[in-house]
Amino acid sequence: MQIKQLLMPFLRSNGFKIMLAAFAILAILPILVNDNFFLYVFTLIFVFSIYASSWNLLANSGQGSLGHAAFLGIGGFASALIGGSMSSAIMASLEVTKMPIGIMSVLIQIVVILLGGLLSAGIGFLIGLACVRLKAWYLAMVTFGFSVIAGTLSSQLDTITNGINGFAPIALVPNGYPFYILVISFAVFSITAMSLIMKSRMGLAFRAIHGNETEAKMIGINTAKYKLIAFVISTFFAGIAGGLYAYFIRFIQNDIFSPANSFLPLIMTVIGGLGTVVGPIIGSIFLVSLQQSLALPGVVESLRSSLGAYFPGVSNVGPPIAFLIIGIILVLIVIFSPKGLAPLFSKFLKYLTSEEKGKEAKKK
Amino acid sequence: MDITAPTIILTLVWGVAIGCVYILLATGLNIIFGVMKLVNFAHGQLLMLGAYLTWTISYAAGLNAYAAIIVSMLVVALIGVAVERLTFRRVLGGDKLNEIFVSLGLIYIFENAAMLIWGANSKQIVSPLSGLSLTLPSISITYDRIVAVFVVIATLIAFGLLIQKTKIGLAMRATSQRNSTAMLMGINVETIYMLTFAIGAALAAVAGGLYGIIFSFDYQVGALPTIIAFAIIILGGLGSIKGAIIGGLLYGIVEQLATLFFGGVWGSAVAFAMLIVVLIIRPNGIFGEKGE
Repeated sequence: MQIKQLLMPFLRSNGFKIMLAAFAILAILPILVNDNFFLYVFTLIFVFSIYASSWNLLANSGQGSLGHAAFLGIGGFASALIGGSMSSAIMASLEVTKMPIGIMSVLIQIVVILLGGLLSAGIGFLIGLACVRLKAWYLAMVTFGFSVIAGTLSSQLDTITNGINGFAPIALVPNGYPFYILVISFAVFSITAMSLIMKSRMGLAFRAIHGNETEAKMIGINTAKYKLIAFVISTFFAGIAGGLYAYFIRFIQNDIFSPANSFLPLIMTVIGGLGTVVGPIIGSIFLVSLQQSLALPGVVESLRSSLGAYFPGVSNVGPPIAFLIIGIILVLIVIFSPKGLAPLFSKFLKYLTSEEKGKEAKKK
Repeated sequence: MDITAPTIILTLVWGVAIGCVYILLATGLNIIFGVMKLVNFAHGQLLMLGAYLTWTISYAAGLNAYAAIIVSMLVVALIGVAVERLTFRRVLGGDKLNEIFVSLGLIYIFENAAMLIWGANSKQIVSPLSGLSLTLPSISITYDRIVAVFVVIATLIAFGLLIQKTKIGLAMRATSQRNSTAMLMGINVETIYMLTFAIGAALAAVAGGLYGIIFSFDYQVGALPTIIAFAIIILGGLGSIKGAIIGGLLYGIVEQLATLFFGGVWGSAVAFAMLIVVLIIRPNGIFGEKGE
């Protein structure tokens, strides 16, 4: 009943139109630009948009996780391993050595990514049980610790995970345009689902808890229950992002549990705008394009020839300079613009539309 | 490795030496929390800066490594003042998440700046005692580790005197109990915050100098000690200095014994597992105050 109440106005609302339009534009875009690197960067941006949005949803309920890489990794490993065993079973029954690509394999791909998300959410539920009673910094520490433990366990259970040397998941959807469509479908659905949740009564409860937990409890919100729900939803989508990431990169290794991967969604969300729907997407566009452009051979070479002489101890000066600047931006944003870049973005949109309205008014 | 009596004694001595470094870091983190109610996740990066500055001063100026620690202590204290005034002061008392975000930004700033300045390769500080060790029947202990223990004891005594016997210490204790009342008593709370952060940073710098003499280090050295120091003060109770000392020694010894019996991989995972279990049972730490 509640779902129907939520869904019907949504289907008639502007949000739904925007969602459809976004999907259509994103689907057509690579055909117009038709460049492999562009497609690669865009796919990565949307994988990380899901990941950062999942972190954003959790932070919106007042819980700042520093260990989301654990769930990215669990989702990634689970979907890659389940997908691997499913496809080897199919290959054995068909007596072929290469997984046939078709509707069947696409369905398997979707199922294993969802399974990765579900497993991640299941473990997220258990970790969430431990976390709901904790204050901000204890929670940060426990989630961080859990990502370290997950990495250690993955290397101890190497016979199952093959995480030390890493492995390539068996391809189910061809890379390039088909995989891009898969990623943007997941991204549009996940981000819409999360924004609906954040706009619903549940989202209101999350924000109330974030605002002041004691007061939220006083007005009758079951804070522990809602915090746990936020944890489960968030880890589900983080797991989905992990599955997409593993299949997109075509490689998964214990590296995925690294703290850098835990900090990434935080930086993206805070820079983009905490608690907003577009914030994590803006942050993801910003960070992924920065990282990818710094990895371009031309950029690496020109940075080395221009700045390399000043920093003799570093072989590739691009990343440390970029991360130094990201650190400074993060601090500046938290101090001067706690809502991130998203308000600027919406102000800009308002500016554009109001100008058009102004022109129309003038014509009349 | 054979587990014999001498190896266990050696492990205990190592544990105490490493524990001492953790104690200094944990004490700094603890006093900052106690007075400012702020958890500085970038505290280990101050340790890293302390180690690098000690290295630079002893290497470039040819100063004795232990004297260089004192200079780097002063420099890191000044960096601490700058950090407190420019960043943490602006977000203090608001949303706790903002403090975590600022700490994370600082981690990125310090680590990458250090990498650009000092390079990505690991370094070790050469002290006048390097290579010398006290040889007893069947075990030998390097003098540097013994000196480290005494330096830590001396620093902690000086710190204790500062807190207990001076006016500044009294003001810090008053602020930690209730900052609004402290303000009414004529204490300039903002100055106390600044001093507290500087003292915490200086303690981290001493820890860094000692760490750099005992082990080799690189720009990422701060991450793990921060977490360990945090685990120690959670076990010992946030804000309790005695808890930090007991917790630090205990942690150093347990970590070394775990490495001896189970191998190095499990070191940090076991520490975190312990931390999580403790927090599930007691969300405010073992000796922490009871929550609502």
